[in-house]
Amino acid sequence: MTVYESDIPGVGRKFELELDDGSRAVVLHHHDGRREVFCRPDPESDSEQIFDLPAEQARRLGSILTGAHFESVDAADLSVPLGDAIIEWVDVPADSPLVGETVPGANVRGETGATVVALQRGTDTFTNPGADVPLEPADVLVALGTRAQQRSLARLVEGVTEFGDSTAGSAGGPTGGEAEATAGESADSADE
Amino acid sequence: MAPTDLLFEAGVVFAVLAVGGAVADRYDQPVIPGYIVAGVVVGPNVPQVFSYSFVLVETREFIDLLAELGIVFLLFCIGLEFNLDRLAAGRDRLLGAGAIDVGINGAVGVACGFALGFSGLESLFLAGIVAVSSSALVTETLVDLGWIADPESETILGLLVFEDVAVAVYLSVVTAVAVGGTGGGDVGSIAGVDAVWVTLALSVGVLGALVALSVWGTPLLDRYLRTDSNEQFLVRVVAAAVGVAGLALVLGVSEAAVAFFLGTAFGTTEHAQRIERAITSERDLYAAVFFFAIGLETDPALVADVLEPLAALAAVTAASKLVSGYWGGRMYGLSERRSRRVAVAMVPRGEFSLVIAALAARPDAGLANGDTIAALAVGYVLVTGVLGTVLADSSEGLERRFFAASADEG
Repeated sequence: MTVYESDIPGVGRKFELELDDGSRAVVLHHHDGRREVFCRPDPESDSEQIFDLPAEQARRLGSILTGAHFESVDAADLSVPLGDAIIEWVDVPADSPLVGETVPGANVRGETGATVVALQRGTDTFTNPGADVPLEPADVLVALGTRAQQRSLARLVEGVTEFGDSTAGSAGGPTGGEAEATAGESADSADE
Repeated sequence: MAPTDLLFEAGVVFAVLAVGGAVADRYDQPVIPGYIVAGVVVGPNVPQVFSYSFVLVETREFIDLLAELGIVFLLFCIGLEFNLDRLAAGRDRLLGAGAIDVGINGAVGVACGFALGFSGLESLFLAGIVAVSSSALVTETLVDLGWIADPESETILGLLVFEDVAVAVYLSVVTAVAVGGTGGGDVGSIAGVDAVWVTLALSVGVLGALVALSVWGTPLLDRYLRTDSNEQFLVRVVAAAVGVAGLALVLGVSEAAVAFFLGTAFGTTEHAQRIERAITSERDLYAAVFFFAIGLETDPALVADVLEPLAALAAVTAASKLVSGYWGGRMYGLSERRSRRVAVAMVPRGEFSLVIAALAARPDAGLANGDTIAALAVGYVLVTGVLGTVLADSSEGLERRFFAASADEG
């Protein structure tokens, strides 16, 4: 995408953007802040004016176009779509009882409540791994679930015998990296 | 005259300008003709109606001063916005198209001058008046009609830049020849050398110094303008522009050309945009007074006397501009349709023609037909200014009517 710039004496500055469909967007910045936006569908056509905006409106429109305008979304709102659930990456160790099993075969969801949404093996990613994907050592499970469900999943993968939730803390969190490492760790201990 | 009267006259001047501008705006016409007519209407030359004189403005000194400031700021701003990159970018095509533009229209102008019975020098003045399009009117048309976003605008703006330089050089030469030749400047003949050559050499020296300033003097000018105070900034800019231009005029060198080259020098500094912001309103105000003063000086009776040559001149040179503009557009590789637009856009003449006319009318220019040329120029600017605007506005309709076949393919 090429941008052509040129000075218009006594008026301001002109910018021309070559667009993928062969048309051109032409923006004229007047010295007084006014902005005109034109579109020229092809080299032989005449430019059609699309906008003629005063400075403030032009800036507002520009920030919407760059996506900067709504940047100030509250970070707390981001977790809303998932509810209390978080996503964690869980390593499958070589001695895991799940090696050789499949995700549906081991009834992971029924046992732990967590949903395995993907499986990473080296550079490959299997989304929603089914009965045709037996787990191998060094696989990474990408799991969606609450913190309790994630802990339960981690124990299942590690092969830790269930003595009850009270001892779970000592087993530590999941061995793999976490999507939100710091929040995850501190929240884990606070949960106990 | 008591200062109270002076202030009142100044008030009348600006009030009339405001009305003239509003009327022009109301009829979608450029303001320059509006300002000129405003000057004519209240000037000393207006015929008495019902034995009542409408003459409201009699004192010339202060108007002449403000008008002179208008010329200086006008040319200074054009120099400030002068775009060397544009000149350099399209070098080959622009030199060709520009040479055609200035060459054809200048030659036609000289021929018209001789045909009207003017002397060689007077014909040279007429050539300048008809050859140079109005940057202000042309740019306004481009923006108003949205042509500014189309490829032909590059050609048109390039031609305007070429004309800027051409007119600056032209002004310094004709000023030296006309004013220097009659000893109008303070420099007389030295040791038997003709005064014209002394003034010419002086012009070359001054302009050369200014070009050197714009090439090597940028840090100096940057330091000169370094201040946080907007007020001091403006005062310094005005001091430089008016000071240098005024000094040039004393030496018999064209103040307009000097203002232009000084503007280009300031255009190379980091302050260029700030200067523009600071000085635009001064320029608009004093330029308006300049156009008003031109009108004031114009005797409508004299314009009426030259109506026939005026019509012929306008017709011939509008046609020659159409030809040179179209040719220039084709040289830029534009389609026929876009080249026709270049042709139409270049028709209006304006501020440069009037600056040249003001020079021709100066008593120390010593032209026998100076007043006639000035009257001709004023009428000419009014006609071509309006003609150009009307042509451009109706170009789409004309296009469909006369070039239906090629319009379809475009």
